[in-house]
Amino acid sequence: MVLEVRDMRTVNIVIVGVGGQGLITIGRILGNAAVLRNIGVLVSEVHGLAQRGGSVIVHARIGNPHSPLVPLGGAHALLGLELAETIRYLPYVNKNTLLIVNRRFIRPSVPKARMPPVEDTINKLRGKGLKVIDINAFDLASRAGSPVTENIVMLGGLVATNILGGMLSLDDFREAIKNTFPPRWHEVNLRALQYGYDAVKEKLGDK
Amino acid sequence: MAKPVLEKEGKTVFLLGNEAIARGAIEGGIGFASAYPGTPSTEIVETLAAVAREVGFYVEWSTNEKVALEAAYGAAMSGVRSITAMKHVGVNVAADPLMSSAYTGVKGGFVIVSADDPGMWSSQNEQDNRYYGLHAFIPVFEAYNPNEAKETVRMLFEFSEKFEHPVIFRSTTRLSHSRGPVKLGKIPERKTKGAFEKKPDRWTLIPAYSRKLRRKLVEKWESIRRELEEWPFNKFYDYGSRHTIIASGLAYGYVMDALEELNLKEKVNILKINTPVPLPHGVVLKALERSEKILVVEELEPIVETEVKKLAFEKGVELEIHGKDLVPQVGELDLNKVIKAVASFMNMDYKPPEPVTNIDVEIPPRPPTFCPGCPHRATFYILKKAANKLRLKPVYSGDIGCYSLGVLPPFEEQDIIVEMGGSIGVANGLAHTIDQPLIAIIGDSTFFHAGIPGLINAVYNNAPMLVLVLDNRITAMTGHQPHPGTGLRATGEKTIMIDPEKIARAVGVEYTKTVDPYNIDEAQKVLEEALKYVVEMKKPALVVMKRACSLLIYREALRKGIENPYYRVIEDKCTACGVCYDFFGCPSIIPKPDGKAYIDPVTCTGCGVCAKVCPFNAIVPGKPASEEWNKLWF
Repeated sequence: MVLEVRDMRTVNIVIVGVGGQGLITIGRILGNAAVLRNIGVLVSEVHGLAQRGGSVIVHARIGNPHSPLVPLGGAHALLGLELAETIRYLPYVNKNTLLIVNRRFIRPSVPKARMPPVEDTINKLRGKGLKVIDINAFDLASRAGSPVTENIVMLGGLVATNILGGMLSLDDFREAIKNTFPPRWHEVNLRALQYGYDAVKEKLGDK
Repeated sequence: MAKPVLEKEGKTVFLLGNEAIARGAIEGGIGFASAYPGTPSTEIVETLAAVAREVGFYVEWSTNEKVALEAAYGAAMSGVRSITAMKHVGVNVAADPLMSSAYTGVKGGFVIVSADDPGMWSSQNEQDNRYYGLHAFIPVFEAYNPNEAKETVRMLFEFSEKFEHPVIFRSTTRLSHSRGPVKLGKIPERKTKGAFEKKPDRWTLIPAYSRKLRRKLVEKWESIRRELEEWPFNKFYDYGSRHTIIASGLAYGYVMDALEELNLKEKVNILKINTPVPLPHGVVLKALERSEKILVVEELEPIVETEVKKLAFEKGVELEIHGKDLVPQVGELDLNKVIKAVASFMNMDYKPPEPVTNIDVEIPPRPPTFCPGCPHRATFYILKKAANKLRLKPVYSGDIGCYSLGVLPPFEEQDIIVEMGGSIGVANGLAHTIDQPLIAIIGDSTFFHAGIPGLINAVYNNAPMLVLVLDNRITAMTGHQPHPGTGLRATGEKTIMIDPEKIARAVGVEYTKTVDPYNIDEAQKVLEEALKYVVEMKKPALVVMKRACSLLIYREALRKGIENPYYRVIEDKCTACGVCYDFFGCPSIIPKPDGKAYIDPVTCTGCGVCAKVCPFNAIVPGKPASEEWNKLWF
C-alpha cells in the first residue's frame, strides 16, 4: 500500500474515542512535538460532559493553523481509538482521508446497546473506498507493558503513516513523550510508541 | 520537569487556553485569585492553586461565584491585583457585586474572567456575556488563541489599574479548551498585602454617593473607549480592497483560515477586534471609510455588528453591512460556517469536500453515564424502589452536577433542571401549587453554593419536600475540586468540615438523616421513612446520601498502587436477563455474546450494589477489598 504524501499547508487530524482512553494526552504529545520543532499547532478537545465515559473528539491542526477546529470533510487523518466513535465521526472524513483504527468496540452502558462485529465494520469502511489501517492497539499496549498505553500505540501508528512527514519524525515524538510524562512512565510509553509504529509500518509493507 | 505553566521566561510551551490565562495572571502580578468551578472555566484557578505556594499568592475555591467575585473585588479594593474566574452562567450568580464594582471601581488591577459556552457543551444556555460589559459599563477583552490570551490577561492588570476600573476577559469553550504554543514572559514580584483606605463617598453605594458615581462612570466609559483605540491586539489589515471583514475575538482565526481556503488571502481587508465592548470608534470608522461592503463575523449575538451599524448611521457612511444574516447566531462558530458566510459575502461559489456518510453500520448512542461504583446510581435505584413501595409518584426537582444524568434512562428521576440551587428553589413554589410529593435532589457542592437559602425558605414558609443531598464528598462534575464539606482548601490545607445535616438541623428542619447509599437496605428504609414524614406531616425533611465519588477513590488507588476489589458473575446462576447491564447500567457489567453478564475486574470498584440488584443472586464478591482500599474512602 502506497500513501500519497500531499503538499499541504496544515495537516488536520481528528482523534476519536471514548472518555478515559487518553485522547487528550495524544493531543498534548502532538502539540509538544510541534512546539519542539517550532511548527504551528492548535489542538482542541470537544467532550462536553463526556469525562463520564462519553464520546470524545480531539481536533489537532499542525502546520499553520489560525483556528482550532477541523472542518467537516476536512480531516487528512482520523485516529480511531474505538470503532463506534470512528463511525460516529465519519462526517469529518472525505474519500482521501487516511483512517488508522483500533480493532475494538467499547459498549456504551445504555439499555439494549449491542455492538456490530469488528471485521464486518472494518470491511464496510473499506467498502466505502476508504483507506483503513487497522491494528489491535489494546494487545500491543498490553505487550508493551500496560493496557493504558493503548493511546500511545495508536499515536505510534499515526506517526508510521508519514502523514506528518517533513514536519515531525519518530524521534520528535520520542522527545515529546519524555516532555509529557514523568520519568517512570517513559520506558513503557516509548515501547508502546514503537510497537504501534512497527505494526503500521508492517501493514503498509514498509517492513 | 518543571510545571509547564511555570517554565522560564522566553520559553515556548504548549498550554491549554485556561493554563495560558493562569500564566497571564501570574505574569500580571496577581496576589489573589478566587473562583467557583464551572466548565469551561475551572482549569484557570485549578492551575493557579497548584502553583500558588511556589509563586506566592493567595487562591481559594469560594462557596459560589458571587462570593468569589466579592472576595477578589475586596482584595482589589485594598490595592492587591486579583482575578476571579467563572463560567458564563456563574456571572449571573455574581451579577450583583459585578454591577457595583463598576460604580466604585478598584485600586488594584481586577480581572473577571467569564468563560462562555457557545454550543452549550456543558451548560444550560449559551448567553453571550459581552452583554454584561455593556450592561455594567465594564470593558470586555477577547483573544483568538492561547498565546494572545496569556498576553492580554497579563496586560489587563495594568489597564485596570490605570482606570481604577474592573475589566472582563471573555473566553469561550473553544479558547479555554484549546491548546497552543505560548511564549512565556517574566514572572514579576507581586504584592499580596494591601491597605484599605476609608472613603465612604467611594466605597459605600448609598444613593447620594451612587448618583455622583453614576455620572463619573458614564464619563469614564468614553475615556476607556478612546484608550482602546490603541489596544495592540486590535488591528486593521488594509489590502486595498473595498471589502472588509470585521472579526471579533476567536472569529479572527476562522476568518483567516476561511480566506486561505477560498484563496482570498490578502485580497480582503480585515479588521481584527479584541475589544468588542466598548467598541473603539476611530479604528472602525477608518475601516468603514475604506469599504463598500462589510461583513461582521462574531460568535452568538450581534454586539459588534449593532455598534458598527449605529456608527455608520451616526457618521452618515453609506455602505452594505452584513453580519447575522450570513453568520449563524445560534451555536458555536466553526470553519464550515465561516467559509460559507465569507463565500456568500464575496459572491463566490464554494464546494466543500464531500464528507463520507451513509455507512451501513448501526452504532448505539454514547451519552455520558455514571461511573462504575458511582454512589448516585445506587441512590437513584434506591429512590425508585422507595417511591414504588409507597406507591408515590413524586416530582423530582433536580439540579446541576453529575447527578443531572439521572434524567436519562433507566432512572429518569430528574424532572426539572434549571440552574444551580434550583432544585430546592423551584420546589418552594411547586410545594404550594401541586399535590404530588416533591423530592429536591441536590449535590453537596451545589447545596453549599445555592441550596441553603432555598432550604431556609422551605422551613420558614413551610414547603413540604424531601431534600436529598447527594454528598459524594467533592465537586465531581468539574473534575474533583474541594468544597466546604470536604475539610480541604484549594491549596491543600486542612480546614473545618461543614456538615449539610447539621446546617439543616440549625435552620429548623426537624427530620434529618445521613445514610450510605451503598448500604441499600438501610438507605431504602430511611428514604421510605422520610417520604412518609413529608407526606403525612407536610413538612420539609432532609436526607444526606453520603458516599465518596468512586472515580475519585479509584484514581487515588491507581496513583497509590492499591488494587481494587471486584465482584464476579456465577455463570450457572446468570439467566441472561440483562437487568444488571440494561437497567442498572453499570459500565463495568458487559453482556457476553450469549447474553450472560460479565464484570470487568479492572474497572469494577467492588461497591456490590449490582449484587443486590440481580434477581437471581448470580453476582458475588470476586476479590474482597483490602484494608488500604477501605482506608481511601472518607
